[in-house]
Amino acid sequence: MKERRIQAYLRKLERHLWLRGLAEQNDLAEIENHLLEAVERGLGQALSLEEAETQALQRFGSVKIVVSTFEKQRKDVMQNILLAVAVLAGLFSAYVDSRPTWDDTGILAGGLLMISGLLTLLGHRKPWLIALAVGIWIPLHDIYLSHDFRMLLVLLFPLVGAYGGWLVRLGIRKTLHPA
Amino acid sequence: MIGEALKGHLDLLLLAILAEGPAHGYAVIESLRNRSNGTFDLPEGTIYPALHRLENQGLLCSSWLEDSPRRKRIYQLTPKGQQMLARRQAEWKTFSKAINATVGI
Repeated sequence: MKERRIQAYLRKLERHLWLRGLAEQNDLAEIENHLLEAVERGLGQALSLEEAETQALQRFGSVKIVVSTFEKQRKDVMQNILLAVAVLAGLFSAYVDSRPTWDDTGILAGGLLMISGLLTLLGHRKPWLIALAVGIWIPLHDIYLSHDFRMLLVLLFPLVGAYGGWLVRLGIRKTLHPA
Repeated sequence: MIGEALKGHLDLLLLAILAEGPAHGYAVIESLRNRSNGTFDLPEGTIYPALHRLENQGLLCSSWLEDSPRRKRIYQLTPKGQQMLARRQAEWKTFSKAINATVGI
């Protein structure tokens, strides 16, 4: 028996997990079995289908809580390594940009875009964080020296790169593991 | 309040429940609730990520049971998990003894 509310919950959960690169078919199958078992138990206690579904979903927790717990429990070393690489690449870019002999903004912007894209393509789950880690140092340096806040626009390049890499990774995941 | 207090001890509780024998997630959660007389009534969906983490750490292993009406993922303690459980039980014994002595229970 496939309960509609349970299926709607599962679809929402899957979508949220998938967007964060956390959806595994086995885990979702396990959660589906849990919810269906909970509904069956509820029906066995003379609850109506609606009451049994409501109780099962309430006990399981909201999608937000479950996804957030999956995120916390799956913090892996690779996420930290990719973030550290992003910070180092960003600091290096700021150093290069600060040198008086350097005058090739195009190459630097392209570099920020590429490295951000590569890091999210490799698996970092938070594009905005990678974009900040890579791109914040040049504007910070310029704001410190000249109070020129327009340099914050530089962040656009790593943002585009990071979200581009993230989208490509999602596309690859979707091709290899269709939801 | 209970949820917050439980955070650091969830691994011990899950390992202790599975020390009694292999079980699927639903049974683990039910056991956690029943053995604590309903005190540890966490959102059930938050237990699965913890079970998966323990499995990734090699403390549990899981396999799918296909011969029931519904497929079930059965978890069981590994030898490493048994060692960890013994260690965590000893730590808890010392810790709870000290807390009880301090608060005068």
